[in-house]
Amino acid sequence: MNVVRKNAWVMGLVGLLAVLLIVTKLIQPSFGATGLESLARAALPFAFATAGMAIVVIVGGIDLSIASIMAVCGVTAAVLMQSMGAVPAVAITLALGGLMGAINGGLIVVTKVPDIVVTLAMLFVWEGVALLILESPGGSVAPGLRSLINGSLIPFVPNALLVILIAIALVWVPVKRSKLGLSIYAVGSDELAAFRSGVSVGWTKVAAYALAGVLAAMGGLSLIMLTGIGEPVPGPYLLASVAAVVLGGVMLGGGRGGLLGPIVAVFILRIIRTILTLANVDPNVTTIVEGVVMVAVVMLGAVLTYRGRRT
Amino acid sequence: MKRLLTTAAALAMLAPGAAFADGHAAYTIGVSNTVQGNGWREQMICAMRAQAASEGDVAELIVAHRNTDAAGQLEDLNNLIEAGVDAIVLNPANPDALNSALDAAMAAGIVVVAVDAGVTAEGAYILSNNQEEYAYLGARWLFEQLGGEGAVVYMRGIAGVSADTDRDNGFQRALAEYPGIEVVHEVFTGWQQDQGKQQMFDFLATGIPFDGVWTSGIDNVIVDAFVESGAPLVPIVGADNAGFVQYLAETEGLQGAAVTNPGSVGGAGIALAVDILNGEAPAETTVLVDPVLWENTSAEGQEIIAGALNPNLDPEWPVSVSIPGWTDYSMEEIIACEG
Repeated sequence: MNVVRKNAWVMGLVGLLAVLLIVTKLIQPSFGATGLESLARAALPFAFATAGMAIVVIVGGIDLSIASIMAVCGVTAAVLMQSMGAVPAVAITLALGGLMGAINGGLIVVTKVPDIVVTLAMLFVWEGVALLILESPGGSVAPGLRSLINGSLIPFVPNALLVILIAIALVWVPVKRSKLGLSIYAVGSDELAAFRSGVSVGWTKVAAYALAGVLAAMGGLSLIMLTGIGEPVPGPYLLASVAAVVLGGVMLGGGRGGLLGPIVAVFILRIIRTILTLANVDPNVTTIVEGVVMVAVVMLGAVLTYRGRRT
Repeated sequence: MKRLLTTAAALAMLAPGAAFADGHAAYTIGVSNTVQGNGWREQMICAMRAQAASEGDVAELIVAHRNTDAAGQLEDLNNLIEAGVDAIVLNPANPDALNSALDAAMAAGIVVVAVDAGVTAEGAYILSNNQEEYAYLGARWLFEQLGGEGAVVYMRGIAGVSADTDRDNGFQRALAEYPGIEVVHEVFTGWQQDQGKQQMFDFLATGIPFDGVWTSGIDNVIVDAFVESGAPLVPIVGADNAGFVQYLAETEGLQGAAVTNPGSVGGAGIALAVDILNGEAPAETTVLVDPVLWENTSAEGQEIIAGALNPNLDPEWPVSVSIPGWTDYSMEEIIACEG
């Protein structure tokens, strides 16, 4: 019973996603395995950006530079793959992402300037770096890497979904089970209490931002796997990731929530766009609908939580 | 419309959509565009809607129109494929990045037409304004105007974008024909009004004399820069944007020419998609729409410009709202933007 209550938000989101999938099927009866594959592929960059954003929000911060880090990592990998194999290029890109995240975190800890200011500045810095690496879209991507996200090894479970789940689990599960995971939640819920309990607040923040950087690097890699080229101009992943984090049940103040909820939220936001396209809703109205759905779900959740506490 | 005779066999093979009782087909066409809120792109979308409404064979137009990147356009294209469209007309974010979705679409029997810029996916049709000719026409007029002698300012678009590369080829072709012409300043405006204007202020301030200006469509602000800094006007070449065309008609002492670059190429894209679905595919997969030049130095040209002025139009829209031989809608229909 405790498990159910603890994960009530995530289970509610899964229920909502199931309802939306049924609605999709009703609007477009031919929606099937290929539709799910398209959905999972579309979710790829959003899922990684959201997972990274969720970690820094849990530690009590926010990373406005996440889409720019994705752009830097995307163009770096696309340029590297012109001259080397996929495996070393991916390894270098992941390390680069971690380094950029650590720089973000380090600046925040050392200068004591608020997270939102430092990462806003770094948004422009990383954007410039991406344009320095590649002035206009280009580079190449190993075909083997691109084929990873196509098709479904298990029927009705797209490979792109497996890539999302496995890659994020590889980063987050070991962290969450270690002392670092506990420290991240402790710093996020009360920095002073964490400090007095002997948690190294500074290093915990740097580590959280570095993890977000690694996940953003995965997001950048997923972008070039989708398109086959590196694009230096950041895509619309910053606001989308904040939206999914909030919808996923992570408190913006920090300390509460997990990664599963935000990832389910990513799929909810993507399927809403699919439904609006299938239903041929006016494109100028679709963004309004997306925003209204988000506010409605979060408000409904707050009401339910409040009533649950009273009884 | 270049309608050829249609054989029943081709129709049966290429038209999966249900036919109306009166013999019209009922196609669903999907549209994908990744820049929202830009005058040229909005005109393109409105031209698509107006043309779809005036085509008897189009039952529904599904428009995916938002600001996003190539990955987002892939998502939109895949959603359009899921929606079961018969054809997709897109303005591609990148020539190479969309091939996975475009190949999947064509494998599903969907006709793909790229407008404004090309795509590299094999089998896709490309309908674009002839950008090389656009630059050549304007540059040749400018050099002719200067008597084949003099210094010009060359204000380009965005480095690395295919339209800019094509226009540069046209400009260089004209330059090679007039050896007496010298380019004193070459600059990228980024197709940004404020940036282009500042650059012109800088050129005027340096004092290096020049006799003419060629712009890649950032045009009315260049006239503003001359007027505001009190410099004597030189011949200026721009595009057929409503603001610049108005200056050509009304600004005292301005000699200039507007080269058409219609956003209504989107409407032509819908017309081409319907033709292909009806079995009337053109022989070549790449179709270029040739631009026209309007200059204000002759009575004839002034008359054309006066006729092109349209106070009902959004000032950022190109004034050429239709493409003869391709689009069938009226001025009122494209301004209404319904369909």
